Amino acid sequence: MSYYLGLLQLIGVHTLLGLSAYVLMLTGQLSLGQAGFFAIGAYSAGILTVIFELPILPALLAGALIAAFFAFLVGFPALRVKGLMLVVATIAFSEFVRLFFFNLSWRVPRGDIHVGPDSTNGFREIRYFVANGWSAWEITTFVWIFVILVMAALWWMDRSRAGAVLRAVGEDELAAQSAGINLTAVKVTAMTAGGFIAGIGGALYAHTATYVDHLTFTVLLATFAISYPILGGLSSVFGTLVAVIFIQGVLVEGLRFLGDWRNIVFGLLIIAAMNLKPSGLFDARTTLLLRRSVGLGGRE
Amino acid sequence: MGDFWFEFVEITQTIGDGLFFGATYSLIGIGFTLIFGAMHKLNMTYAAASLAGAYVGLAAFTFVNAPALVVFLISALASGLIGLVVYVACFRFIPVNNHLAALMASIGALFFIDEIVVHTTDGSPLTFPAMFEYVMLEVGPWGLRGDLLFVLAVSVASTVGLLYVLYRSRLGLATRAVSQQDVAARLCGIDVHRTNATTFVLAGLLGGVAGAMTAAAVGVLSPLVTVPLTVKGLIVTVIGGLGSIPGAIVAGLLVGGLENVFLYFRGVNERDMYVLLLLFVFLVFRPHGIFGSAIDRD
Repeated sequence: MSYYLGLLQLIGVHTLLGLSAYVLMLTGQLSLGQAGFFAIGAYSAGILTVIFELPILPALLAGALIAAFFAFLVGFPALRVKGLMLVVATIAFSEFVRLFFFNLSWRVPRGDIHVGPDSTNGFREIRYFVANGWSAWEITTFVWIFVILVMAALWWMDRSRAGAVLRAVGEDELAAQSAGINLTAVKVTAMTAGGFIAGIGGALYAHTATYVDHLTFTVLLATFAISYPILGGLSSVFGTLVAVIFIQGVLVEGLRFLGDWRNIVFGLLIIAAMNLKPSGLFDARTTLLLRRSVGLGGRE
Repeated sequence: MGDFWFEFVEITQTIGDGLFFGATYSLIGIGFTLIFGAMHKLNMTYAAASLAGAYVGLAAFTFVNAPALVVFLISALASGLIGLVVYVACFRFIPVNNHLAALMASIGALFFIDEIVVHTTDGSPLTFPAMFEYVMLEVGPWGLRGDLLFVLAVSVASTVGLLYVLYRSRLGLATRAVSQQDVAARLCGIDVHRTNATTFVLAGLLGGVAGAMTAAAVGVLSPLVTVPLTVKGLIVTVIGGLGSIPGAIVAGLLVGGLENVFLYFRGVNERDMYVLLLLFVFLVFRPHGIFGSAIDRD
């Protein structure tokens, strides 16, 4: 049972990661920097609960805010460039953050051991949940409360004026600008919101895994982050959730019998999916077919 | 004076070595820029394919004891072939205006190639043969490493070869035509897909040489190099200006030289952080890169 709860927690954390990329993709920006914000959230929240002995909730919020702050900072220079240049800039940011934590050593004595990030050896003692006697059920519920909050917020935003503005920028920047939308403000806001969501995800990840090191936050993780909304499509937040369940639940767990060969298959699957369904597995046409087949009518 | 002089020699030596080694970054950067120029797309697989080519060359050395020149040739050919496969798998059948899908597919191919390399080598680094005896030329107080000199010579030769193909052959004319206006090129009877495929093979040949040279200069070939080399190649491309070949050359040397300065002052663990910061400095002050001002496109 705890295995499935662990999987459920992982799906929750990855949904947050995917949603952080989803917000940005609504404005037409593709970022491979989400792994960096995720890492900042993970390390900051971990340091706050372990070294400063804060409770989980303020630590988590602080972690998310710190990640959002860095997303805001990265937003300005990075958004001066568009499209593929932004991809390069955000990969560079992500790698920079990874190398920063690769070098970070901040050990403080706690009883007869030392705790804190230990550069290459990783950050091993993020044991807030265990120390406070949380059960696996409680941890899973805690994770999913945040997933549901974020999904609800984004779902509501999508139906408000803000969602229309984001999508307008994503559809056609020039037209959006002509309609009086401040492009820089919109893009930097989306970047900051994305950083905040990734930060929550990272903070939750660090505490559920109890251990993080720089190898957790590679380009592979950043690729996962953008592959969820790309596969799930941008029509709603649920696409991302379905894509996470599909990739983490079905592919990664289902292909476990392949052992080490699993990653090779993962690469091939991405190539195949992009050739067969370049606009995402759940593009407008497929979504329509799905809706009809479950009797939701042919709206859209 | 003694201390200062010693330090001065030491630093200039470091920068010099870096400039020479930077030639390999230039080659990788040229590959990225070539494909971007032709298709306005990023081929994330490029550095991985270059290193995979070097692995094939290494296999030729290990199993049939091929001489240095043949190892380089085989690396180049293998990488060119991989380039062709990557083009067909990740670019040929994906709609031209869908940049994201092609990008994702090439990231998929990056992981695929990387995993194959990890599997065939059990993930452990392999020693790449030193292609030459250790030669050290003495120039006053400075030394010139023979292998780095060779790296520079090969880079210059392959760049000249590439420029010759691009500006003096019909093939190059077609490549440039497609990169400027693919509809017009099509109307003139140029087969766009074949031209793009040729560009990928050309870039691949160059990448194979770069991969083998990097391996020869460093002495080991390891799957751990793939992502850093990809990132550095991309940085060189952006700093030089997307689509600019002279830009990629200058930026490659710049990154190589500065990298060694960072190495000298801050050590190997922090070196790459400063290289990445360099990219942000350029994004803030010169977002179109050194030679990119003429090109103002997405």
